[in-house]
Amino acid sequence: MTMVPNFPLPGADPLLVPALGPDAARPLRFSGDSSRFLSLLIRGACLELVTFGFYRFWLATDMRRHLWAATSVGGDAAEYTGRARELLAGFLLALAIVGPLAVVNFLLGIYAENLQAFASAPLALFYFAFTQFAMYRARRYRLTRTVWRGVRFWMTGSGWRYAWKSFWWAVLAAVTLGLAWPWRVAALERYKMANTFYGDLPGSFTGTGGALFKRVWWIWLTAIVAVFLVVAIAAAVLGARAHGSANEAKFAVAAATGFGLLALVLVALVAYPLLRASEWRWWASGIRFGGVSFASSVRRRAVIWLYAKTILLSAVVVSAIATLIVAALWVAVVVFHLKGGNFANFDLAKGFQLNSLAAMLAFVTAYLVLALAALAVQRLFLQHELWRLIIDSLMVSGLSAADDVSARGAAASAVGEGLVDGLDVAGF
Amino acid sequence: MNDDASPRSAPRFGQASGVFFDGASSRRHEVTLRLADALEISENGARLALWPYADLRQLDGAAGHLRLRCASAPELARLDLSDAAFIAQLSGRCRNFALAADSGRGGVPRIVGLSLVAAASILVTALYGVPLVAGLLAPLVPAGAERFIGDAVENQVKLVFGKKTCSSAAGDAALASLVGALEREGKLGTQRAPGVLESRIPNAFALPGGKVFVLSELLEKAAAPDELAGVLAHELGHVAHRDGMRMLIQSGGTSFLIGLLFGDITGSGAVIFAAKALVDARYTREAEYAADGFAIDVMNGLGRSPKPMGEFLLRVTGKQGDTPFGMFASHPFSEDRLARMSAADKGISGPPLLDAAQWQALKDICK
Repeated sequence: MTMVPNFPLPGADPLLVPALGPDAARPLRFSGDSSRFLSLLIRGACLELVTFGFYRFWLATDMRRHLWAATSVGGDAAEYTGRARELLAGFLLALAIVGPLAVVNFLLGIYAENLQAFASAPLALFYFAFTQFAMYRARRYRLTRTVWRGVRFWMTGSGWRYAWKSFWWAVLAAVTLGLAWPWRVAALERYKMANTFYGDLPGSFTGTGGALFKRVWWIWLTAIVAVFLVVAIAAAVLGARAHGSANEAKFAVAAATGFGLLALVLVALVAYPLLRASEWRWWASGIRFGGVSFASSVRRRAVIWLYAKTILLSAVVVSAIATLIVAALWVAVVVFHLKGGNFANFDLAKGFQLNSLAAMLAFVTAYLVLALAALAVQRLFLQHELWRLIIDSLMVSGLSAADDVSARGAAASAVGEGLVDGLDVAGF
Repeated sequence: MNDDASPRSAPRFGQASGVFFDGASSRRHEVTLRLADALEISENGARLALWPYADLRQLDGAAGHLRLRCASAPELARLDLSDAAFIAQLSGRCRNFALAADSGRGGVPRIVGLSLVAAASILVTALYGVPLVAGLLAPLVPAGAERFIGDAVENQVKLVFGKKTCSSAAGDAALASLVGALEREGKLGTQRAPGVLESRIPNAFALPGGKVFVLSELLEKAAAPDELAGVLAHELGHVAHRDGMRMLIQSGGTSFLIGLLFGDITGSGAVIFAAKALVDARYTREAEYAADGFAIDVMNGLGRSPKPMGEFLLRVTGKQGDTPFGMFASHPFSEDRLARMSAADKGISGPPLLDAAQWQALKDICK
């Protein structure tokens, strides 16, 4: 991306923050321009389309640069110093790791299947642990590319140790139907933050699983009850099927399944943003860098509304583009007709057969355009606007502890990012 | 904050204030900037740094701010400034402001061009390179290893189709005799004993390592021994060509290559799925065509006609050329296969492969 010198605009100057008491709570500030971010996304999506996806490294980098630069703490903007070439190199290195690993995975799978059908399923658990490792390493890359006041953040700790912890806590959370999930999040966050530094200022995490549990237990309970109710209703309907006529029974089962799924989706749509909002507030208040601490006042309502907007707008954008595509097809048919084409003589099957490569390409392109458009909406809301919501809700206290921190740590490699990309784990 | 700012001298030309971080500590230096031979950065009269104009690079600053680094200064040393008039004077002296930009030489067109070259090379490799490599590698896999894989697949197959295998003394003997005749004619050597699985799907398949399975519905639909014999000969053709092993290597190779393009090496995205289905279908159509060739040779060699097999296939699948997504088809169309088998028909010169009693025993194997 070529950079035009960024000339100043008149207005408030965050460099000249009025002097407050040294340790008074001060707000963080997000000055991101949504329309600039959107144009970046649309341009990036178009380039992703013509580069067969390779542009994703540049787009991810541009997005992060935008978000970091618009975030200021104590009047000084953060900076993302990562570059797309590093991501590309990390991805290629990750390929060299994942390729042989996939072969080993395959061979082990054959051995396991020989003993017992589907005995290779546990290999998926290794895959899960490996993605956790990759995510830890990806965090390390992003953190060491985050610079504030000329000093970088950095990270120690072992990705494998983290993967190990994450794995066993996940098992525990699964066994307890999610009850142990808050303690899992707390344990992992403690490990990450205990190994995180800003210069020579060590990070830590003071949040506890119990505190998170107190915030979210009712969401968990509601979700469990909802699932239980749906299952119970389905079971009751299935039981009743024995009595009614065959058609009635079929209808009842279809209706029960439909309503059940709808209820579950609705619960999930509300429960997920609620959970995330609660988690963020808890998470922010637990973050420490030496004497620096944070507090978030993000409103649950605002987060739910943001998710609702994302879903609605994705639907609108996708249906609008789909309508355009259908209209274009229709115009093509009309033109064919006006040019003297006659459908009575047109062997549709043969036409399709001859043009099946063209039809396939058109279909794939249309699909990609729709997917990229939905992705752009999602990125605008769930990254940029969510970022704004969270940053603007944050207060930082004790910032004087970060006034004279010595630089430490070195930039880490992007292999972790490459692994996250290659394993198709949602990574930001 | 600007120690030069006195009521007498309003912002002096070539001078401004800014915030400087030296890259060694997070200390905020409120500095005075002066355009001298280089950019002079001083705090309370003491010079902190002298940045040559040619080394200045623009970075991402907050809205309304210019953030600079210096190529010859510590990596993370930063200077933030917001005085528009001063920035205008400064940028007049800097030729290399934008050098830190991300896309490097050539910018976006270069990224697009290189991506297209990479994509083309990946696609050519997937379409031509991988089959070539798989064809070379498959024969090198020891028969023992292939059987080992076949056993693993067999475990899964039995779980998917239910464990119900059909067996009767006379039926098994008839099937073994039929497959044995085909194997001898096809110079395959003795393979594993064939089996019948109960299923409502009319199909037959060969596993890596040579075990042939017939699904009961196919037996049900076959009207004559030659119909079934042709289908079994076709499956043995896959065994002879080691297609199972080849498909395995090809499929893995294509997943990996197509994942390279879209970033998902493990291959779960919809586009990846479609692209892979397309490439795989191409391979399998070729393999099916070759297996048909094998079946034709075997049936003709035994003095039996391959034509009943073609008729049988068309009866089971119906006419297929009408579907718009023929590209995804894993097999050649049944009508084309029948045409090929009719053309290769040399009439009947050999004895029947099964007598009436054997045929009946085989048909009744699931009863």
